[in-house]
Amino acid sequence: MKELNVNGAVMKCYPLCAAQKLHNYTIRFCPSQVLCIGTGLYVQQEVDFGLLKRAIYKAYEMFETMRLRFIEDENGEVYQYITPFEERDIPLCDFSDRNEEDAHNEMRKWTALPFARYNSPMNQVIMIKLPNGYNGIYLKVDHMTMDSSSIIGFNRAVLEIYCSMRYGTEMPKPMKSYIKQLEKDLAYEADSPARKRDEKFWKEEIERDEPMYTDFSGQGRLLTQRRENNNPDQKWAMVVSRSPEASISVYSLEKDASMRLVKFCELYHVPMASLLLMGLRTVLSKFNDNEEDVSVKTCIARRGTLSEKYSGGTRIHFFPMRTIMKPEMTFLDGIHMIQAEQNKIFRHADYDPIELNIKRGQYWKLKPGASYESISLTYQPLTMNDNTKEMPDIPYKSMWYTNGVAGQPLYLTVMHRPEDNGLNFNFEYRKDAVTEYEMQYFYYYLCRVLFRGIEDKDRTIGEILEMI
Amino acid sequence: MLEKIKEIIVNYVEVNPDEITEESRFIEDIGLNSYDFMCMLGDIETEFDISVDESEIVNIRTVGEAIAYFESLKG
Repeated sequence: MKELNVNGAVMKCYPLCAAQKLHNYTIRFCPSQVLCIGTGLYVQQEVDFGLLKRAIYKAYEMFETMRLRFIEDENGEVYQYITPFEERDIPLCDFSDRNEEDAHNEMRKWTALPFARYNSPMNQVIMIKLPNGYNGIYLKVDHMTMDSSSIIGFNRAVLEIYCSMRYGTEMPKPMKSYIKQLEKDLAYEADSPARKRDEKFWKEEIERDEPMYTDFSGQGRLLTQRRENNNPDQKWAMVVSRSPEASISVYSLEKDASMRLVKFCELYHVPMASLLLMGLRTVLSKFNDNEEDVSVKTCIARRGTLSEKYSGGTRIHFFPMRTIMKPEMTFLDGIHMIQAEQNKIFRHADYDPIELNIKRGQYWKLKPGASYESISLTYQPLTMNDNTKEMPDIPYKSMWYTNGVAGQPLYLTVMHRPEDNGLNFNFEYRKDAVTEYEMQYFYYYLCRVLFRGIEDKDRTIGEILEMI
Repeated sequence: MLEKIKEIIVNYVEVNPDEITEESRFIEDIGLNSYDFMCMLGDIETEFDISVDESEIVNIRTVGEAIAYFESLKG
């Protein structure tokens, strides 16, 4: 921590944690990158916008990270600090006389506009009137200040505070301190024994043997790059691009089908993320000549303790998850293998993922921007529904808006829909790397693998690859 | 050991410690997810000065099973 002068006031300023450095690194090396996340939360009822504005201010007061800002010191190092409570303008935007898709497109445009990086607010809330009687809020945040868990928490808090003010329901519980949690993370990063233990684990993982790149669109990318580099044994591929323009395709799995996946997980005591990873790695195997060695990037939310769950901020780390599966292995055994791998990663997930990436690149002599993973998976179990609270039965819907750019070729985020708990598969893809048709094709095969697998847990991977 | 484990669990989920018994299942009854569970193991390792094997804890479902496993590690 150091004290810096912020607009004439001396503020306590803290270095960035590893999860924030990941985003800062992206901005430094890809200046056209946008770190904004846009979301919408809309209820189908008349809204008292004066009351809603008060609820939003109250939520601002509760969430330290909604008041988080950044500053550069004299050496160009980025620091962060919390501003005292401030009442920023919260405008109302009325789209009620327009087509709903136009309204969402407008909000996508807002999401593509970055925030000023220093000494300035890193989020914006706008109250929204949509057609068809839906009203609510649009929230844009900088990813260096909040991740999806924090955003869901903030949106949920606004709704709960509003309902408490209007209907007398329970207020949300107070948040935990972001700064205390940050201090814990920074203490870990400062050469702690826990960090040394994690460093040893990841070093052994890196040096095990070289992974194999498997692309979501087949072997073309790797084979082309092998020819270009005159290296028939090349196992990595360049995945970054100077053209980061991106789009999102959302595929909704029907409620009943989604519940079949949920029930399978309950019956065999396996996490949904492990099942999804099993589906994903099997499709990648299929698209890459039944390759047995498959790696994907897996997202770890890193919110175990209640202090971590309720401190806001951005905590996500991405790690490579590699599995080598023989065709004789059964679907359920494959999921168990993934579960065991995930458990190992969970135990070492505080390690800085950028440092890991750099060390892996140095060890295997990768070019900058090269990788063994073509796709990242995030499973987000949190929804706007909090079954522990009594809330009025109001129909609502939520939206995630793309900021229009992406560093990696493909991010898959699987989330539960608030209205029926069914699964939405959000594919955010870089347009120069993937087409929408390829996304549909990938999703189709992903579903085929998942349902062939869950209808017979003892079916082997080889049999599933044959069947699909 | 049960009381100590209860103290650790309440750092991870909002649960009444009095409702936690040896029969309670970590996921279904207490509401931990697999990440919570693995982090909690780290706390337990520190508290009891033991080292767990990740491949052996996959089959542990209840608090009682966990206690039996940790006791076996303590020798």
